[in-house]
Amino acid sequence: MDGSVRLDEVVMRFGDFTAIEKTSLAIGSGEFFSFLGPSGCGKTTLLNIVSGFITPSEGQVYIGDEPMAGVPVNRRPTAMIFQNLALFPLMTVFENIEFGLEVRGVDKRKRREVSERLLALVALEDSGPKMVTELSGGQKQRVAIARALAVEPRVLLLDEPLSALDLKLRQHMRTELKAIQRKTDITFIYITHDQGEALNMSDRVAVMSAGRIQQVADPMTLYREPATGFVASFVGENNRLQTRVIDREGERVRLDGGALGELAGRVGSEARLVNGEAAMLFVRPENLRPVAADAAGPRLEAEIEAVHFEGAWVMLEARLIASGEKLRVQLGHEVSRGQAGAVAVGQRMHFGFEPADAVVLSDDGSPMVDEETGEVVADSQAQAGGMHV
Amino acid sequence: MFRQLQARFGGPLAMAIVTLLGIWLIVMVTLPQLQMIEYSLKPNLLPAQVGGPDDRLTLANYATLFNNDIHRTIFFKTIWSSVLVTLLTLAVSYPLAWYLAKVATPRQAALCILLLIIPFWINEILRTYSWFIILAFRGPLNEVLMMLGLIDRPIRFLSGNGGVMVGMVYAYILFMVFPVYNAIESLDDNQVRAARDLGAGTVRTHRRIVIPHAKPGIATGCIMTFMLAAGSYAVPALLGSPGSRWFTQIIYNWFFEGGNWNQGAAYAFLLLVLCIGFMSLVMKIFKVGLGDIGR
Repeated sequence: MDGSVRLDEVVMRFGDFTAIEKTSLAIGSGEFFSFLGPSGCGKTTLLNIVSGFITPSEGQVYIGDEPMAGVPVNRRPTAMIFQNLALFPLMTVFENIEFGLEVRGVDKRKRREVSERLLALVALEDSGPKMVTELSGGQKQRVAIARALAVEPRVLLLDEPLSALDLKLRQHMRTELKAIQRKTDITFIYITHDQGEALNMSDRVAVMSAGRIQQVADPMTLYREPATGFVASFVGENNRLQTRVIDREGERVRLDGGALGELAGRVGSEARLVNGEAAMLFVRPENLRPVAADAAGPRLEAEIEAVHFEGAWVMLEARLIASGEKLRVQLGHEVSRGQAGAVAVGQRMHFGFEPADAVVLSDDGSPMVDEETGEVVADSQAQAGGMHV
Repeated sequence: MFRQLQARFGGPLAMAIVTLLGIWLIVMVTLPQLQMIEYSLKPNLLPAQVGGPDDRLTLANYATLFNNDIHRTIFFKTIWSSVLVTLLTLAVSYPLAWYLAKVATPRQAALCILLLIIPFWINEILRTYSWFIILAFRGPLNEVLMMLGLIDRPIRFLSGNGGVMVGMVYAYILFMVFPVYNAIESLDDNQVRAARDLGAGTVRTHRRIVIPHAKPGIATGCIMTFMLAAGSYAVPALLGSPGSRWFTQIIYNWFFEGGNWNQGAAYAFLLLVLCIGFMSLVMKIFKVGLGDIGR
C-alpha cells in the first residue's frame, strides 16, 4: 500500500490571487507530515488539492505514483478529518463510522466488525450505539478519526482537527494521533497553525507563508537551523536584530549591530552573506542570559518592562536601551537559584549569548511575525527603516 | 405573551393588541367555523320552517357524501391528485432549492429568487389563465412542439388531469421551494464534503445526508402544498375539464348553485377534517412537530 504523495509544480490561482505559488514536494509513504503556517498562507488550499476538493490551476498531484488529475474526491485513496469534524449528527457513532463502508457496499456484519475494531483503537468501545451529539469534544474527535480510518485510506488528511479542543485534551490527543499513526502506518498530512502540534507530532514539517513553502525539515532542524527569517520568527520564539555583516570566519560571522555595537553569530544553513550587506541575527529568548556589564562577547543592555512567572521559567519583556527594540529573555535555571526573583520592572540588565546559539540569515525581506498571534505584522523593510540611522 | 408585550409596548397598547387578536381569532375565525358546523348539522329548510318541528340536529348531510358514488369518487380523487401534486412539486422544487442554497453564488440565487417571485405579483386567476392560454389546443405550447417536430398533431393538455397538475405545481411551487431551501441552507457544507470524501456519490449524499437534514423543511412544504392543492378552487375551475373535477367545485356548487348551504358546510367540514388528518399523518411519518413548521 503506497501512500506516498507527490506535488509536481502545483500552482493554485483564484482569479488574480495566487493562493499557491509553484510548489513541488514529495511526502513519503507512512510519514507524519505537517504543513505549518499562519492563517491565509495556503495550507488548507494545498490540503484540498490533495483531497480533490479543488483542482489545481497547474501541476499534478500523485498519490502512490498514480496521477490524480480527473479522479474525483469520492474515488481518491484519501480521507479527510475536517476542522469542525463534520460528523453526521443524525446518525449514531456506528453509522458514522460505517458510512464509508456502506457506500462501498460492504455487508452489515463486516461493517460492524470494522467499526468495533476501530472503536477499540480509539478507546471508545461502548459508544457505538450512541448518537454523536451525545459525545464530548474529545470523543467526537476520536469518532472522526475512526470514521476516516474505516475507508482504509492510504493518506489521511487532517485539517486543524484539534483546534476546537481545550489545551489539556489537545495535548493528550497529540500523543494519541501519533500513536494511531504509528499503529496504522498510514501517511498523515496534518495542517496546523500551532507550531507546538507540528513540532511535537511530525516526522517532517513544511513551513508555509504567503502561498510559498519556506522550508521543509524535521522539527529539530527547523528549530535549530531555520532557512529563512520567516521560519526563524514563526517557529519558536526569536529575537530578531537588524545588522550588517563585517566579516566572516568559518561558521562565525562578525556583525555590526549599529547602535547595539559589535555582535556575532553562526551562519545559517542557506544564508548568502556579503560583507557590508544587511543581515538578520536571531537569538532565542532561552539563549540569552544575564551577564556582568563588562563581560566579553556580544552583549545587549535592556530595561525590563515586564516579568512573567511561568513556573518552570520566567519570561522577561525588555527594551533595548540603544535601539528601543523589544527583547524577550527566558530565564530557566536561574529561577531555582533565586536570581530571577531579584529581577524587577524598570531595572537595567545586560544579556549575553553564545555566538554559536545565534543564527545569522541574509535579509530576505521576510515578514515579521507576531509572537502571540502568529500573524504577520509588517515586512522587515518597513521595520528596518527605522533602525538603521 | 401578554407580559412580553407589556414590557415592550406598555400596558394600554399591549391590552389593545391582545384584544384585537382576540376579536380576530374569535369573531373572524372561530365563530364562522362554528356557524358552519352548526349549518352542516341541520337540514336545508325553507325560512318558514326554521324553528319548526323539522329544525333538529342530524347527520344526514354527512351521509350524503357516503351515499353519492360520484361525490365520493371525486372526494378521493381530489385527495389522491393533491398527493400527486405535492410529490410533483417536491420533485421540481428540491433540485431548485438545492441549487439556490448550495450551488448558486449569492447573486445568482438572488436573481433566481426574484424571477420566482415576480409572477406572484400577479393575481392567481390571471396566472392560471395564462396557463390556460399556453396549454390550449391551438396554444403556443402545441405550436412550439409541432414546430420542433416532436408531435404531428396538437395534444389536448386541458382535457385530463394534466392541465390541473401543471397549474397547481406552478401555483404552489414557492410554498415548497422556500421551506426546503431554508432547511438545506442550514446544512453545514462540510457534511456534504465529508460524505463525498468518504466515497459517496451524488445520489447517496442526498439520500443519506441532505434529505434527512432537510426533512422538517420538506414536510412543511408538503403539508402546505397539499392543503392548498386540496382546497384549491381557481385552478381546477379554469384548467380542469369535466373529467378532472375537484371536490372544492362540488362544495361551491352546493353553496352557490344548489343553494344548499347546509350540505355545502358538511362537505367543507369533511374536507377540513381530512386535510388535518393527512397533515398529522405526514408529521408523524416524518417525525416533525408543529414547532418545526412554524419556523
